[in-house]
Amino acid sequence: MTKTIELRIYGMTCDDCVAHVSKGLNEADGVTDVFVSLKDGIAIVKADNEIKPEDLTNLNVFKGKYKAQTRSVKND
Amino acid sequence: MYLRGSTKPRLEVLKMTEYDLAIIGWGAAGFAAAIKGSELTSNQMKIALIGYGPLGGTCVNVGCVPSKFLIEASKNYREASHPSYAGIKASASIDFPEFMESLNNFVSTEREGKYTNVISNFENIDLYEGLAKFIDKNTVSVNGKEIKAFNFLISTGSRTFIPEIRGLTNYYTSDNIWNIQKLPEKIAVLGSGEVALEMAYAFSNFGSEVHIFNRSNRILKGFDDDINSELIEALRSNGINFHLGVNFHEIKEENRKKTIVTSTETFTEFDAILVATGRISNVEGLNLKAAGISNDNGIIVDDTLKTTNPNIYAAGDCVRQPLKLETLAGKEGVIAVENMLGGGRTVNMNEIPWVVFTEPNVASVGYTEYELKKKNIEYSVRTVDLKNVVKANILKSANGLAKIIADRDKKIIGVHVVGPNAAEFIIEGVYLIKNKLTYNDLIDSVHVFPTVGESIKISGQAFIRDISKMSCCMD
Ligand SMILES: Cc1cc2nc3c(=O)[nH]c(=O)nc-3n(C[C@H](O)[C@H](O)[C@H](O)COP(=O)(O)OP(=O)(O)OC[C@H]3O[C@@H](n4cnc5c(N)ncnc54)[C@H](O)[C@@H]3O)c2cc1C
Repeated sequence: MTKTIELRIYGMTCDDCVAHVSKGLNEADGVTDVFVSLKDGIAIVKADNEIKPEDLTNLNVFKGKYKAQTRSVKND
Repeated sequence: MYLRGSTKPRLEVLKMTEYDLAIIGWGAAGFAAAIKGSELTSNQMKIALIGYGPLGGTCVNVGCVPSKFLIEASKNYREASHPSYAGIKASASIDFPEFMESLNNFVSTEREGKYTNVISNFENIDLYEGLAKFIDKNTVSVNGKEIKAFNFLISTGSRTFIPEIRGLTNYYTSDNIWNIQKLPEKIAVLGSGEVALEMAYAFSNFGSEVHIFNRSNRILKGFDDDINSELIEALRSNGINFHLGVNFHEIKEENRKKTIVTSTETFTEFDAILVATGRISNVEGLNLKAAGISNDNGIIVDDTLKTTNPNIYAAGDCVRQPLKLETLAGKEGVIAVENMLGGGRTVNMNEIPWVVFTEPNVASVGYTEYELKKKNIEYSVRTVDLKNVVKANILKSANGLAKIIADRDKKIIGVHVVGPNAAEFIIEGVYLIKNKLTYNDLIDSVHVFPTVGESIKISGQAFIRDISKMSCCMD
């Protein structure tokens, strides 16, 4: 079972930022799929069911310039 | 940009959320939160800042700023008309309307500089003027317009509590006293908290006959008796009359003069009444229930400032908490936004300094003896009379004391001073408490001589020696 977590991402200004955030999310344990939109400032992450939203928002990639906040969690 | 995925996700959740954050109240807490939120998100957090009345809220418009201007000017007038040193003779006069105009101009300049101009730098912040009311957990209405947001911060401040006294009409509060054009010859101040004492002190310096009335027989609720008696004595010698423990019967007005009738006495000929009987949170009209927020004499928050609705935080005077301060409101605004973005910061009330800007100042941080006794916490305490402090004697202002409270490990947990300029040096107490330092650490730090701030070190020394057998400046 997986879930979809929508995150509001602040601080991305260019495609490099998108790549950086995407990489950070992708490398997280339990993440199976990542979509990041620069225009909307969001990330949509598919992850294993045991992953909690805080596991993502507390990732190192969100400890500096980028900040993430959970917007919704849905079971797939 | 897709990674690994194949189906394009739907974004309806974000689209229905118009703002990332809506802040209700544009005072110290609201401004601090709006700016911090912008800084933390490279100005990408879309913020609605909602309020009414002048930008900046209480502190800059009708609180700290005008009151401190009034106090400093009144001290200047008093010192000019009553020089403290032998051989100096002087007299002073006051054009009160001209002075009040300068006060109000100063307030406008500060508001422009610290609020109006600052907010215009943030394109991500939209201002909405009007009273906000929750419709549901994600929506407020302001003048009929619906504003949706994912996060909310409530920072609606507080207002003067008006007691029920028969005939109490046509009075001033700290909201409108700034429009007063004529110096009252005789003024009654109802209340004996910090606002009441400061205003009473300022009017007394300007030469008004000032009477303080209070239902309780104490001043400064929660403070130790020695601090209160020291301050009452100093304010009495400044000319203020105290009527404590009174039962108001009624207030009457005839020929523009007011009479206060208590259960035992009648006081006549007041030109003005200032009501300063404490402050209550501004929460009526917010429809907190619709947003799932609990309130009981202030909005209930956990130690991260989260309300009973996890997406809604509260900060500043509207929160149920013991202190109502500009500095605390600003700090809480910042912490609330940091926590919305995943932080876990809390406020330690024992590290928040608090001052009454009378002369002498009362400056305090940490536990009082009263609180420690109530909580059954073991402590030791040393109190030093300011007559032991050379600078206080030089200033001819030695009415006062410095008091340090330590726990059983010698760590300082309370610092309280009644003395001149204490507002300027109580920060030493903050660092001592915040860094869990002992009185030995305090004694080991060289203080400047001669300063009133030395009184803190001397109180620390009183833990280890008889300070009457100590020469100047020794450790
Ligand atoms: C006379 C006086 C002197 C003071 N002196 C000092 C001092 O020397 N030092 C110090 O640290 N503190 C002092 N204070 C306290 C300090 O002013 C307050 O603690 C501080 O201003 C509180 O800030 P706040 O942001 O919580 O609320 P406020 O500054 O009161 O802001 C609240 C805002 O919310 C708005 N609002 C309320 N309800 C709604 C609603 N439903 N919808 C939209 N907007 C709403 C109000 O219009 C206001 O703009 C003093 C206070 C007074 C009265």
